[in-house]
Amino acid sequence: MNSVGEACTELKREYDQCFNRWFAEKFLKGESAEDPCGQLFKRYQLCVQKAIKEKDIPIEGLEFMGPSKGKTENSS
Amino acid sequence: HPWETVTTAAMQKYPNPMNPSVVGVDVLDRHVDPSGKLHSHRLLSTEWGIPSIVKSLIGTCRTKTYVQEHSVVDPVKKTMELKSSNISFTNLVSVDERLVYKPHPHEPDKTVLTQEAIISVKGVSLSSYLEGLMANTISSNANKGREALEWVINRLNAEIEEFTASARGTVRNSMAAAAFVEK
Repeated sequence: MNSVGEACTELKREYDQCFNRWFAEKFLKGESAEDPCGQLFKRYQLCVQKAIKEKDIPIEGLEFMGPSKGKTENSS
Repeated sequence: HPWETVTTAAMQKYPNPMNPSVVGVDVLDRHVDPSGKLHSHRLLSTEWGIPSIVKSLIGTCRTKTYVQEHSVVDPVKKTMELKSSNISFTNLVSVDERLVYKPHPHEPDKTVLTQEAIISVKGVSLSSYLEGLMANTISSNANKGREALEWVINRLNAEIEEFTASARGTVRNSMAAAAFVEK
């Protein structure tokens, strides 16, 4: 699967591999300790944000690092 | 399929043959919140094969539609919620979708999906026929979504089998080599 920025596809693939492994083997099993993919994610992110600006894609809340649409999960 | 399998597949849903128009997926943000839930914000790029008459109205450089998706995975309560809405330059029609995956209450090896879509039309008044058409498309897309996950799950299982088979082969080879050396 490609990235919205053609130059970012390789970075995306590396990050995806790391994330998918962590997600299935750690996170879903309740071991959500440290996300080992932080560095990969940062590099990939910088590339994507540049591509989005270049393509002028209007995304709301991109600057915020928290849940943007304001709807957090309800706990019951 | 159990909830863990479905959730893992949903995170890797694209590419798949049922959604050929999705051409790009990117993670805009991802973090685990203080209560342990994983939030992901993703951007999906889609190419719809828009008829040329529409292209001539909106310009050929704007044939991509973007969908913004926010997902929340709670590994303790075992829920996955996906909210997505389209971002389009024309801004006339917006489609918001909400999907929730939960383990089946009585059959632990199954997952229940509830899905809803809200279609809003701004400014231009579409005939009710067009609105009905969109609603039908969305409900057949819901089936496609299920088929798409089924496809991804099969692919992931095939990868695991391949890996196991080659690992077994390696072990057998090294055991044979060890037996040879012992003689």
